[in-house]
Amino acid sequence: MNGKTIVITSGKGGVGKSTATANIGAALAMEGNRVAVIDMDIGLRNLDVLLGLENRIVYTIVDAAKGRCKIKQAAIKDKKIDNLFLIPASQSDNKDVLTTEEITNLCEKLRKEFDFILLDCPAGIEKGFQNSVAAADEAVVICTPEVSSVRDADRVIGLLYARSITPKLVVNRIVPEMVERGDMLSHEDVVDILSIDLIGLVPMDEQVVISTNTGVPLVTQKDSKAGEALRRIAYRLNGQPDLPIEVPTVKKSFWKTKINFRFGGKK
Amino acid sequence: MLNGFIDKLIGKNKSKDIAKKRLQFALIYDKLDISEEILGNLQQDIIEVVSRYFIIDKKSLTLDIQRERNFSALVVNTPIIKAVRREVGKKATA
Repeated sequence: MNGKTIVITSGKGGVGKSTATANIGAALAMEGNRVAVIDMDIGLRNLDVLLGLENRIVYTIVDAAKGRCKIKQAAIKDKKIDNLFLIPASQSDNKDVLTTEEITNLCEKLRKEFDFILLDCPAGIEKGFQNSVAAADEAVVICTPEVSSVRDADRVIGLLYARSITPKLVVNRIVPEMVERGDMLSHEDVVDILSIDLIGLVPMDEQVVISTNTGVPLVTQKDSKAGEALRRIAYRLNGQPDLPIEVPTVKKSFWKTKINFRFGGKK
Repeated sequence: MLNGFIDKLIGKNKSKDIAKKRLQFALIYDKLDISEEILGNLQQDIIEVVSRYFIIDKKSLTLDIQRERNFSALVVNTPIIKAVRREVGKKATA
């Protein structure tokens, strides 16, 4: 087996990196791939909570990378999704505890065991970011349609290019109503500014909060808009690069349409 | 929705256009590590130098930085009214 290592990064924190990693990883596994999702945010782990595996941690990535345990011991098998494994971050270590070499060596070993290795990059562009990027073949940059997020994404894209990685972009938390009335950057605006290729558009979705509450990835549910968008990103990574990207749109109820029509509102 | 329509009628600026413009400028300044003040000084200096050779419409001179992924280009645009006549061999003065 010769798996692909993909880093999920953003520069800015809180834009949905871990949620994307958990869901894309889960969707890839549900497609029959052997998937390892790795929490690279040492000292502030969270990917375990998103997958509902927080009570199962014995060994961490630090143990695995430093040879204190076998990779198999650090890789926690998901409860419900076959073929999905989590390598959690350690909560007690310093964030600079791992060297680039230790991470790249670990990922080289993982490559032989898994089809996909997803690295959930920490926020920022320091050591944790550098380590994650050094081990990755490909990169997915997550950004939200906000000035600060797009600015940080631009910085990160520049750093990835410097390492000869051409990243793909996910615009997350799109609120179609706000885009429609001109109060939120559209995905076209974001692509225009960052000038990189898209790999997905994810709408703002309350279900994300609920899924975090319960620790069950969204992609396992059928009726979530964000879950559907994330699932399609996984398909694109998994050999269907040309699967059309759906643009989140305003869903109008019958009554809303009527009212708008009456008062001469647009559309 | 209705508010959006009214805003459109009275030509109110969309906040996303402001966001986009701010972002584009922020990225240029980030990349080049220069401030608006420095750009202003550059513009003054360019006007001064060009004026030694050409009479230009100083108010219409525009200075723009166009950003590509791998490079940024400084684009100066100015209408020339006419050349400054000067004697050969004599150093041009502003």
